[in-house]
Amino acid sequence: MVEEDRLQLLRDILLIDDREVAHAINQRIEKISETLEKQEKLSEKVNPIIEDRLKVFVSEIPTSLGPVITQTLKDEIENSKERVVEALYPIMGKMIKRYIQNEIKLLSETMNKKVNDTFSVNSFKRKLRAKFTGVKESDLLLTELDAPTISEVFIIQKGSGILLGNHSNTATVDKDMISGMLTAIKSFVEDAFEGGTQNLEAIEYELYTIHIQNFHTYYIAVVISGSYSRSFENKLENKLLKLSKSLSPQISILTKEAIDDILKTHF
Amino acid sequence: MSLSKKIVMLGHFGVGKTSLVRRFVDSVFSEDYLVTLGVHVKKKEVEIDGEKITLILWDIEGNTSISKARASYLAGSHGFLYVFDVTRPETFQNLAEEMDFLKENYSKIPVAVVGNKSDLITSEHVEDFFKQEPFKDCEFTSAKEGDNVENVFLKITKQLR
Repeated sequence: MVEEDRLQLLRDILLIDDREVAHAINQRIEKISETLEKQEKLSEKVNPIIEDRLKVFVSEIPTSLGPVITQTLKDEIENSKERVVEALYPIMGKMIKRYIQNEIKLLSETMNKKVNDTFSVNSFKRKLRAKFTGVKESDLLLTELDAPTISEVFIIQKGSGILLGNHSNTATVDKDMISGMLTAIKSFVEDAFEGGTQNLEAIEYELYTIHIQNFHTYYIAVVISGSYSRSFENKLENKLLKLSKSLSPQISILTKEAIDDILKTHF
Repeated sequence: MSLSKKIVMLGHFGVGKTSLVRRFVDSVFSEDYLVTLGVHVKKKEVEIDGEKITLILWDIEGNTSISKARASYLAGSHGFLYVFDVTRPETFQNLAEEMDFLKENYSKIPVAVVGNKSDLITSEHVEDFFKQEPFKDCEFTSAKEGDNVENVFLKITKQLR
């Protein structure tokens, strides 16, 4: 053997294992590169892992994120109530409207049934009225159920707002203060809208209406509950005009107690 | 039988009209300043020489001048309480003109002039500064301490009868 051949033989003996290992590593790297570069192959490997993690994440949401979300929502509602109300108002409004419409319909149907089943003098009268006026009998019954009633009457001095007399069927807060504030509101409205000689004639709030009738030195405020109809308003106006005839000539000399007694006879 | 009389509180913003009314009617005072919008009506019954009088107090919003106040709020008044702040000159420097306006437009209605927040100045200052015209007949009160408040309201009530 020449010296060169001997050296080659020695090289082969010493390096043969390393070459095989290097070759195997090269093959593995090529396979991994291929997997990473081709989406389908990568998906095959990664998708099951992600799915498993997602399942765990979803199952843990109520315990891990629940309290945080709840607290965030609470804070948001607390800090921007007006925005929440603005957002909810149209939805709530529609729901309430629909509910009320439904309730009224049910009430009307119930009443119709009741009317048909009843043979009293009143129902006979109502039937006649309905026939002659063209108004539904159920509507007439509804009006009867929600008939306007006078809760309070105030005789108030114009300008000063001092209570000259009153008649009340219910116990309310301080009547002197009511007449003062009523006069202040009246003055403000009459001034603010530059009505000239025009007067505030009614205030409505929820289930009540305050009818205001103006006279020279005083005005009469009547608090009415129930359905305040045009016909009731006419009747009330006539009643107040009648009252003013007996009141106006002597209002400046009458005591509060005397005016209270006069009101008692009229209401 | 009780007589009712309307007293209107006049004066600039923040002089203590509401505080005086609250001190007189409810015997309370608060450091919190809430500006009066429109009018706030309060009532207190007092007794003068055995006669019961119901005072209807109209605490109206502050104005730099009475002429700017809503005339309808002043209508039918039996007395005025003009309040200024002793620590703020802008609230009393036009006092003479304000009194002239009242004399001209509401000549028959008694007026009491009140320098409020007297707890914030010394009695010497009151003596020196406020003894001259137009402060000669002024009363000095402290709604915070309650000093002289009742006396001011009773004094004007006596003039209403």
